[in-house]
Amino acid sequence: MTVTLPNSEADRSRALDLLGAANTRLVSIFGSTDDNHVRYVHYLIDVNGREYRMLSSPVTGSIPSATPIVPAAAWYERELHDQYGIECEGHPDPRPLLFHENWPENVHPMIDDASHVPWAEGQYHFLRVHGDGVCEVPVGPIHAGIIEPGHFRFSVVGDTVLHLELRHFYTHKGTEKLFENTPVMDAVMIAESVSGDNCFSHAVAYCQAIENAFAISVPPRAQAIRLIGLELERMLAHIADVGALCGDVGFTVPAAYTARLKETLLQASTRFFGTRFWRGIAVPGGVTRDLSSAETGEFGRMVTAAAREFAQMARLILHTSSVQNRFESTGILTAEIAKQLAVVGPAARASGIGLDVRRDHPTGRYRDINVDVPQYTHGDVLARARIRIDETAISTHLINETLRELPAGSVLVPVPLSGNAEALSAVESPRGELLYWVRIRDGKITRCHIKSPSFQNWPAVPLAMPGNIIADFPLINKSFNLSYSGCDR
Amino acid sequence: MIGDAVERSLRSPRVLISVSELFSNAAGSRMPDVQPDLLTDEVARRVVAACPTPALKVDEAAGRKYLVLNYGECIACSRCVAAGEGAFRYTERVARCGVRREALIRRWDIQSRAEVVQDEPALSQAAEQIRALVGQALNIRQVDAGSCNGCEGEIVALTNPYYDLERFGIHFIASPKHADMLLVTGPVTRNMAAALKNAYDAVPSPKLVVAVGACGCSGGIFAGGHAVVGPVDAVIPVDGYIPGCPPTPSMLLTGILQVLRPFSSPWRRRKS
Repeated sequence: MTVTLPNSEADRSRALDLLGAANTRLVSIFGSTDDNHVRYVHYLIDVNGREYRMLSSPVTGSIPSATPIVPAAAWYERELHDQYGIECEGHPDPRPLLFHENWPENVHPMIDDASHVPWAEGQYHFLRVHGDGVCEVPVGPIHAGIIEPGHFRFSVVGDTVLHLELRHFYTHKGTEKLFENTPVMDAVMIAESVSGDNCFSHAVAYCQAIENAFAISVPPRAQAIRLIGLELERMLAHIADVGALCGDVGFTVPAAYTARLKETLLQASTRFFGTRFWRGIAVPGGVTRDLSSAETGEFGRMVTAAAREFAQMARLILHTSSVQNRFESTGILTAEIAKQLAVVGPAARASGIGLDVRRDHPTGRYRDINVDVPQYTHGDVLARARIRIDETAISTHLINETLRELPAGSVLVPVPLSGNAEALSAVESPRGELLYWVRIRDGKITRCHIKSPSFQNWPAVPLAMPGNIIADFPLINKSFNLSYSGCDR
Repeated sequence: MIGDAVERSLRSPRVLISVSELFSNAAGSRMPDVQPDLLTDEVARRVVAACPTPALKVDEAAGRKYLVLNYGECIACSRCVAAGEGAFRYTERVARCGVRREALIRRWDIQSRAEVVQDEPALSQAAEQIRALVGQALNIRQVDAGSCNGCEGEIVALTNPYYDLERFGIHFIASPKHADMLLVTGPVTRNMAAALKNAYDAVPSPKLVVAVGACGCSGGIFAGGHAVVGPVDAVIPVDGYIPGCPPTPSMLLTGILQVLRPFSSPWRRRKS
């Protein structure tokens, strides 16, 4: 349920008051401009864990920063400044976020002409840790493996990490700007390219936002197929993550085993849906592929078989002492920090914060079913691994339930290609709450904001590091497994 | 319990895909192919209108009309397959992997309904040198220069038991200083341009660069964005291109091998 209150200056202070309350969670802060080029700031807040509330107000001059009230606002307000040139007074860290030294200070692409931006040569200042024996270890942006780029600056004494500073946005592609003036039906392809391994979650979140904007009822069969795709994407992510965690502690046998299982599921997708990653399946109005009844049974059997093999291997993994030794009490994210940074997804659930969009803000088929939300309290690598193992089983169950009672009927309805509207929609992607907010003018997107779980969760990763040894960083980082492109956009 | 995991793993089915099944197989890539005998002016008009990137266009030269398909710009959205009235379908084999830029483009004469066949451009000099130097062994440094991570997922899949890249003596390595080839994904972002250039400079010569994915080949859906510089060859020289969004593991494998080999006989050396 979304309530958009009238826009006024008072809404901004009401938003800040609301953010200070115990029963709220910051979902996102973002900017927009109206038809008269007036800049707006939007605060998106989850109230009582059940209701998204958006408060918007026009901006003239600077605004007071929400970061001193909610640390989770820090990156959003830095992004707001980079995109819209809105100053947030009292922000403890107003350094540029999206743009690096090559970007001139005074160009804000959402309000300025950004077609030919000159190259600049600025300087970036990392936080310095001083003291006897403190060394700095810079890592990245290019890492040792086949991973996305980002920079990690460790301050260490011996092997022990005192402080880790992140520097991201190497893959920043100005994606939100690319949505502008794109026809509603085309923009889903941009959404699919925000974070490749979660492309279906992005596509569904975008499509649902469009459908909400135009009050379109998606056929139940299409909703069911979307659920299957979303849960399969979660299975793929979790199976791969558990395998990769084993790889990071030198236990390569389960790593190869899970890689095989993941590929089995990708090939099942190819066989039944014509695509390995479900690109092109979700479109505004429904889905582009249907399953015959014969296919339904076989697809379900393949998913179940892979899940069973995974569950058996997972049991062996968790009972292996060298795995326990490395996973347990490593990279603890405390519930308190997770709450302050409004962490979402498996990372939140492993730190005792039971958030799940599928249960708390259900859309589509999720409105009709119960979703178990596993929860652990230790906040360590082991807890995040356990969440993934448990959720793989739950996803398998959801897929099978849905396949068993696949509603009859069509899978696609037309959507208006013109008209003005705005709306939001959220899905629980494998990494957590993923939310799209769209504004449509004459059938084209004029603003699309993407609240990505990776943008939300990255600031928490460095806070799980102090006291751990630098050699455990790959393991800890993998246990969060955040998307760089999804964060950087 | 380590022993149990190993034992379980040993009992798992053998899934390795044979070379002949893999080479140029494009199943699941959603890349289009053209049935020339069904090509008409109307079909050409429709598919060009449906294409969200400049991958499809109609060229007119000397009074004749040509349908042009540039695989390097194709984001595999499959709209042409839906709009093409049978003249477009999903391709099962993509041979245009690991080729030079010009070879990504195919042309059909719309009136005569026939493909205009071009000569395969010669391999780069670096490819010949490396082929002579390394034979079957190849060290690859992968660089994500701004990708959405879709390509990375498929590159990682190359190491799974189905594809097992290591059987060809091909390894992914950590340092560009040990690399023969850079496998570069993404539209190169402004923020990654300098790092990509540094990585390229760190690779000893002779070196090969392969641009991967629609974004690496042409900028893909991000082309023209304010925060991207462009395709990989806007920043460093590129020897071979692998299209796809994302390219499947078999397309990647085909492309990596093809860069080192003459187009028509991929397995000549191995068989002899």
